[in-house]
Amino acid sequence: MRVVVAEDLFLLREGMVRIVEAHGHTVVASVDTGPATLDALLVQRPDVAIVDVRLPPTFSDEGLQAALAARREVPGLPVLILSQHVEQLYARDLLADGHGGIGYQLKDRVLDTAQFMDALGRVADGGTALDPTVVAKLLGRPGRADPLAALTERERSVLALMAEGLSNTAIAARLFLSEGAISKYTTAIFAKLGLAADDDTNRRVRAVLAYLGADAPGGW
Amino acid sequence: MRLPEGHGPLRWWAEAVRGVYRSAVLVGLTWLLPSVCLAVGFGGSRAVGSWSEGLNAPLAVRALVGLGQVLMVLLWLVAAVCIVHPLTSRLLARAARRCARSWLGETFEVTYRAVPRVSRMATGYWWDGHEYHGSEREARRRAKTHARFHDPQLHWDGLWGLAAGAAVLPVAGLPLLGLAGGTYLMLAPELLGYGFEYGYGIALIVAGLAAAPFAWRILRPVGRRFLGPVPHSWLGRRVRELEAVQADLTHTQAAELERIERDLHDGTQARLLALGMSVGAAEQLVDTDPTAAKALLAEARGASVTALAELRSLVRGINPPVLAERGLVDAVRALALDAPVETTVHSTVVSRIERPMESAVYFAVAELMANVAKHAGASRVTIGFAYAHQLLSVTVTDDGVGGAAASAGSGLRGIERRMAAFRGTLHINSPTGGPTHITVAVPCALS
Repeated sequence: MRVVVAEDLFLLREGMVRIVEAHGHTVVASVDTGPATLDALLVQRPDVAIVDVRLPPTFSDEGLQAALAARREVPGLPVLILSQHVEQLYARDLLADGHGGIGYQLKDRVLDTAQFMDALGRVADGGTALDPTVVAKLLGRPGRADPLAALTERERSVLALMAEGLSNTAIAARLFLSEGAISKYTTAIFAKLGLAADDDTNRRVRAVLAYLGADAPGGW
Repeated sequence: MRLPEGHGPLRWWAEAVRGVYRSAVLVGLTWLLPSVCLAVGFGGSRAVGSWSEGLNAPLAVRALVGLGQVLMVLLWLVAAVCIVHPLTSRLLARAARRCARSWLGETFEVTYRAVPRVSRMATGYWWDGHEYHGSEREARRRAKTHARFHDPQLHWDGLWGLAAGAAVLPVAGLPLLGLAGGTYLMLAPELLGYGFEYGYGIALIVAGLAAAPFAWRILRPVGRRFLGPVPHSWLGRRVRELEAVQADLTHTQAAELERIERDLHDGTQARLLALGMSVGAAEQLVDTDPTAAKALLAEARGASVTALAELRSLVRGINPPVLAERGLVDAVRALALDAPVETTVHSTVVSRIERPMESAVYFAVAELMANVAKHAGASRVTIGFAYAHQLLSVTVTDDGVGGAAASAGSGLRGIERRMAAFRGTLHINSPTGGPTHITVAVPCALS
């Protein structure tokens, strides 16, 4: 794969470049500012980009904004966003266009190289790779009015794993169920959320989006 | 002192005796400043007058000399008052207040400045609320002196001393003067030498006794004017408020730094140390026992993840990342997403506000939201941001049980005080049964 790495801390940037190259991919650009990130994304059109949320010169959410701007230009451009903190708010911004090819993970996940590369692969294939903490936060809120109330407990846990970006096979392994059972659950979920049957990946993303939008505040 | 009932002569005598006693007490409480002034003024003029005795000079020169002498005496007067007043005013005014309460039922609520707590700053110096000191003892001493002698109430008490010397002392002194003068005339008949001495003496004593039940009542009008709390100008009130806020902030900041230091020391530092040790051990084992080395390395990685998680929660408490990256409104949106109660955020604010304000308002709103979750029993919360005429207002509305109030020691009072530091206000509208609207408003500029 052709990969762009955007990270302002030299050590982390080099570390990521090393990991990516060790797995046989090519790093076509490694950049350390917001504007440079946007340029690299639009010029290189990588198969996947690894972007830090907070970048110079302003140290606001420049990396995130660059990724969003690039995806407005090139819908579905795969981006894996990394940050020291994961925020539902950002996850929502990233998923809002419904195109998939989005990952949003804690930087710590890089430590588990296998899992990190797996997530990177999923994003490159147009899927999602949301950090379990974002998902856990959503699950850990009892007693909120929830459009997802129609889902059963089991369907909710399947959806949660879907949000993390796992495939049906992986979800089946995680829940000790057969893959057939999982695909029945996913079909039920899509039906309950009123998601029309189009490309499955896209539908998965939209299901996750519905999940994240469970309490969308006004103006979304 | 219980007086006999009715209007008989007994009652009258008792009134007179009580009046004499009270007049004596009042004279005792008010004689000091005027007599110091008189003594210094009189002695000073004598001393100064002796300098220009026999001066033979043109009128203009003598007039100048006279002026100089008058100024000199005034200077001494001021110096004497400045020495006596700080040492005695508080004591005398308190005694006068006690008299007013027990004789007239007049109570004056007065607060003297409390000695502020001293706190150790991160730099190792001690802060007493005004300046830094090298040692705690010195800081405490200075804080005490400062509170004692830079108290506006003390100076107001000094003014009472002067006013009482001018108004209470002459009036309360009349009965005593009558009694003393009359007694003196009766005992020293040769003074007037007419044979009427007894008559004059008795007349004076009777006049003194007749005045006694009324003279001491001068305490009421003068006391009402000067014994109460120091009247504050708006500016003075503001300074007091700010001083309280500053003291608050100093302590909050010190406590925060301590917490951060402790968390880093006990958590992250210890973990990183353990991590280094694991890696070191793995290094030792890598040739001899690769399996154990691998296990150690895996453990080390786990430890680094935990350390990161700890640091993450610490950083959130210092400055929430969304606030740093996106500003107030989005930070509150992120907060709303994590809230246990369904929370909707509306905003018409187009750009970010000044950074220090952002942080203050954010933590205030966070506390309000936590309050809702804890006490209100609400099912819906709405947060609205508006900005107009240089004023940012954030309203938190919930459909809970209501009855929120900024009583002393409550979290709302704390928010109110912190907002006061930025000239902000907290407005609570919370009838029992709800809904509750709490508005935080601060004047600020958009960045």
